[in-house]
Amino acid sequence: MLDVTTRGAAAKTRSRSRLILLCVNGEWREVAVKPRHTLVEVIRDMIGLTGTKASCESGICGACTVLLDGRPVLSCITLAIECAGKQVRTVEGLAEGGNLSAIQEAFLDQGAVQCGFCTSGMLMSATALLERDPKPTRQDINKALEGNLCRCTGYNAIVDAVLQASEQGVKPVMK
Amino acid sequence: MSELSYVGKSVRRKDGPDKVTGKAVYTQDVKLPNTLIGRILRSPHPHARILRIDTSRAKALPGVKAVITVEDTKGIKHGFVETPRYPPDQEVLARDKVVHVGEEIAAVAAIDHVTAQEALELIEVDYEILPAVFDPEEAMKPGAPEIHRSHPKAPGKHSNIGGSTETEWGDVEKGFAESDYVREDRFECQLRTHGYLEPHVTLAHWESDKLNVWTSSMGVFVKRAKLAKVLDLPYSSVRIHKTYVGGTFGGKIDLYSHEYCASRLSMITGRPVQIVASREEIFSAYRHAQPLILEIKTGVKKDGSIVAQRIRAINNAGAYRGSGVVVIFLAWGFTMAPYRIPNLKYEGFSVYTNHTVRAPQRGHGAPKVRFAIESQLDMIAEAIGVDPITIRLRNARGPGEQLPNGDNTHRGGLIDCIAMAAEKSDFLNKFGRDRKSPPKGSIRRGIGIGVSAYMGGTLIYPNGSAVIVKMNDDGSAVVLTGAIDIGQGSETVISQIVAEELSIGMDDIKIVSSDTDTTPQDIGAWISGMTYVTGNAARQAAGNAREKLLQVASEKMGAPVENLVLKDKVVYHRLNPELKMSYREVIAASVAAHRGDTIIGEGFWRTMRDEPTHPSLATTKGRWTENYAFSAQVAEVEVDIETGEARLVKALTVHDCGFPINPALVKGQVDGQISMALGHAFMEEVITKDGYTLNPNWLDYRMPTIHNMAISEDADVITEKYQVGQPYRTKEVGEGLISGILAAMGNAVYDATGVRLHSTPFTAEKILNALKAVEYESRRSRRGKTVRA
Amino acid sequence: MILSDFDYERADSLEDAVALLARMGGEARPLAGGTDLLPSIRMDNIRPGMLVSLTAIEPRPPEVLPDGSIRIDALSRLASLENSSLLRNRLPMLAESAHVVGGNQIRQMGTLGGNLCQEIRCLYLDQRHDYQFVAPCYKRGGACCYPFPRNDPDTCWSVYMSDIAPALIALDARIEILGEAGSRSIRAEDLFTGNGLKPVRLSHSELLRAIIVPPARPGFGWGFHKSTVRGGLEFGMAVIAVALRLAEDGKTCADARIVVGAVREGPVRASAAEEALTGKVLDDERLASVAGDASKEINPLPHHGFTRRHLMDNIRVYMKRTLARAVERARSGEHPA
Repeated sequence: MLDVTTRGAAAKTRSRSRLILLCVNGEWREVAVKPRHTLVEVIRDMIGLTGTKASCESGICGACTVLLDGRPVLSCITLAIECAGKQVRTVEGLAEGGNLSAIQEAFLDQGAVQCGFCTSGMLMSATALLERDPKPTRQDINKALEGNLCRCTGYNAIVDAVLQASEQGVKPVMK
Repeated sequence: MSELSYVGKSVRRKDGPDKVTGKAVYTQDVKLPNTLIGRILRSPHPHARILRIDTSRAKALPGVKAVITVEDTKGIKHGFVETPRYPPDQEVLARDKVVHVGEEIAAVAAIDHVTAQEALELIEVDYEILPAVFDPEEAMKPGAPEIHRSHPKAPGKHSNIGGSTETEWGDVEKGFAESDYVREDRFECQLRTHGYLEPHVTLAHWESDKLNVWTSSMGVFVKRAKLAKVLDLPYSSVRIHKTYVGGTFGGKIDLYSHEYCASRLSMITGRPVQIVASREEIFSAYRHAQPLILEIKTGVKKDGSIVAQRIRAINNAGAYRGSGVVVIFLAWGFTMAPYRIPNLKYEGFSVYTNHTVRAPQRGHGAPKVRFAIESQLDMIAEAIGVDPITIRLRNARGPGEQLPNGDNTHRGGLIDCIAMAAEKSDFLNKFGRDRKSPPKGSIRRGIGIGVSAYMGGTLIYPNGSAVIVKMNDDGSAVVLTGAIDIGQGSETVISQIVAEELSIGMDDIKIVSSDTDTTPQDIGAWISGMTYVTGNAARQAAGNAREKLLQVASEKMGAPVENLVLKDKVVYHRLNPELKMSYREVIAASVAAHRGDTIIGEGFWRTMRDEPTHPSLATTKGRWTENYAFSAQVAEVEVDIETGEARLVKALTVHDCGFPINPALVKGQVDGQISMALGHAFMEEVITKDGYTLNPNWLDYRMPTIHNMAISEDADVITEKYQVGQPYRTKEVGEGLISGILAAMGNAVYDATGVRLHSTPFTAEKILNALKAVEYESRRSRRGKTVRA
Repeated sequence: MILSDFDYERADSLEDAVALLARMGGEARPLAGGTDLLPSIRMDNIRPGMLVSLTAIEPRPPEVLPDGSIRIDALSRLASLENSSLLRNRLPMLAESAHVVGGNQIRQMGTLGGNLCQEIRCLYLDQRHDYQFVAPCYKRGGACCYPFPRNDPDTCWSVYMSDIAPALIALDARIEILGEAGSRSIRAEDLFTGNGLKPVRLSHSELLRAIIVPPARPGFGWGFHKSTVRGGLEFGMAVIAVALRLAEDGKTCADARIVVGAVREGPVRASAAEEALTGKVLDDERLASVAGDASKEINPLPHHGFTRRHLMDNIRVYMKRTLARAVERARSGEHPA
């Protein structure tokens, strides 16, 4: 059992918040964070963008995936303070001027969304893939999305969505 | 159905745009000012008496606003099932003893997560450890540690019986005596879990004498009823708000302690309280699926037709009754629906063990039952020299068949499903191929088939669904439905039906859903009844509005209703299309002339419209549903016989869903179930030891990744149709398609390797060990000893 | 969500980081990708007083040194290694071992040094202990062992899971370590203690700086296999890395290095198997028998739901296939110049 006083005292010295600047979806934001605050907490609770989801909080399921300087990372095991000065992109930043991105449209066309909870993370991983490799093979797609778990769709529609978005011959299934 | 514009089309999901832009609001996305963080203190022991709880140090911690134990509750019990035979048996917090690891003992509300954690650590509990039991057959033995007293009505003198089901017809012993071939087998299925991506979350806010609740669930009306009951509040004082839900699969139906705790803590503090279950808590303290032991003895004639079957099912129910008493009833249902069984004796026990409580998981026992029955059927077929397709066609129920409980298969298309599945998969050509002439190398392919039946929308509280279609004066409509979209697409399907009945566009419809104050009641998303029950309620509501529209138009246009047609928000005279009125004009006329009637359509539906209630869980007597779905599924697997590693390569699902309202949504359900089934078949298992969960995370609980999915094809056997203005019968597709493919995978593994497994999962270790045993036996038989496969 | 507090400093250079770590006397931990460290902190298995961030230190891309060795910065992200055309051409086994780590996001975040310094894994350790396995085990500084209750306090039969370590050892790599006293260089295999209580031989103020892989010699062939259930995302059931050299006759083995990971407290060399191959003709029969013996020699620990028997069966089959693949590559002259 923990002694309350010790924890309290130690916590005070370590608990100093710092102001950091993050560029989230193209907008610079200043937030006060403690070192222990994760990026997903900052995005969801401090900045208020709840599209990024917290599911396992252990860096396994990928629901919290965001792009950090273009790299898909697990925001639940990324410290916000490590991201000072960096570019963060979340699912809210994919559409431009009200127009959905090709991958977002493809997810809708292919039935790649059911409950939607894995969707944000999937879209970010898929976006990162397509920015790096405009014509990924099925194997490339699997490797890029292996860190995003989905329990609803069985994944096939998601793969088809990435193939459609990369114009590799897959036609819309839903209108 | 080519004259339909919306029903039968793969229209895009209504909730799709919100979900791909991150705008869809799930429970944890709801933010209220001054919210407190709630946490639950959980039992570290599988079975222990609580001698003392002292929360004073926790209460004294600065930042802690409330701490509750069972003493702070009204002592009202709840249960998944609440009937005279199975009264509610669970309190929201433990009283006097804990019966599983992770059981809820106390709850705290604090200003932040760190303080809440500290508060938990300051609660002092003294326990007296009690002997525990984890295996259901051990728990049944007289003298086993008593978790709860056995049900007084359960047959036999077993310990720890939560409930039992018994039924029989004909004379099984006589049937076995008359059979040409009889065999008896035992099958077991592992403990697996739902794996929904969205964790359990509840936000509760008591304000102005009203409890507002946001919670991740499968049905807001069930939640309201149970929550109001344990809080001793009238239903009107409890509002369950709409939120999107990130997957459920059966694991979020009945009342959870944290929902009560968040509510009660909010009532005490006057502030919103949020409780989020961590993934570890979900894996180690929340509900899992029900592992079943099935002992099956079946006798057949030499042509393969079933004469008699005796089944004993034992469910490892966990530490409270939970849904165990339902699964042992359903296990009978999933046995008797697909095939004719002239003589049957069924006995099921739901047994308490010191494990977490169970919940239904997609299929609710059907996957395990069909795996067992279909595996045995293939063994029987091989022994009597009949192929797997023929034996199934011989036994499959056709349309219009009376079932033993008085139900009817109606236009059941099982026979067509089997025939189509066999043809599309080229089954008989592939079957036995690698066993007859093994290819070079270590990879073997096999093919297997599995058959299942499932039911839709059976009677369980709240038993019926209602829908309201509110026309707006420009002809667009707002649809109020209590249905909750857990991913299956309820909002889309309801919109399609209303669009079709009213001939308005999908964009003209907005759905307001799953709010206990503002939407009418709904059966919930957990008995596969949405499309049939809520859909028919929506159809009826839209039809009701349509009738009113036509009535007013008829008066205004001076034409009988039969001469009027609706198309795209305009009422036309059938014979003279120049004579028309827009909906806007009709509705204005209705308000002007019909005492202000703004045209609101009301509809309702339930299954078993002529039966008062659901069948007896204990005796199976009573009709169950008019809505049976049938399917045949074929699996093609590959096994590496040197390592035992097996995988699903291709799945074919042929289902009688009546007709698909949205084919792409149906395909989505099929794919999701194939994925869940292959997880059950090859890789998923909750590993427990002495009541503790060893793998409470997704690295060690191996839920399928994108690498594991197979090619999934589906085909419909159309047995029903949709006609505007008429009730329709669609059959469920959301739960029943795990069973057939699971069974098919077991049969396919046998076809590939000659290895027959009697338990899931088919791990590489099990397959390899069985291959070694087969190899050993064949070496023995080559030395002159006879062996039966 | 991390509930314990810690301080945070960002280092400008590795030397700066070493100085900070030294000053904190064991209270501080280095933070690179964080994919191993942060989950441990979240599970409350460790409570560092401070994290010294290495995020501002830019790693050098892999480079060829004058003697033909390849130098890889320890702070290289795993994704940069799997995608590096230099590594794919010249050190394909290393690129492959980076490629199979975790999922894509883990590879984008994690570093080579972090992968090598990862903590051992055990089902009973890798979860929060609020109500399960509450009393700390030996690893957590306590007085029991849950999976093996009869073990002594100095024995922790957990498993070390790095996919890359077996490859580096098979390639006879060296590791450059920076400490307060300066740099030192050790053989890769000497980084590992084989003791689950402290699997990596580094003091609290030492950091990995670089990995140096010697150039391959003629006749070189490699094989690498990671056994998993799902084919991705997971840690391994077993990881097998083989590097061998065929003699000029193209049939006899000049030397072999066989390393197995994920089945013991550190990567294990199958030395007896290596000897059994050296100087022999590498036909199918020989490979099968050596693989069989190696699976026994390795003596895998049961872990994560896999029995010892099954791990041995798995190693036996995949070791043979991996050896065969290495022989194939050696024969085809696939090795880099």
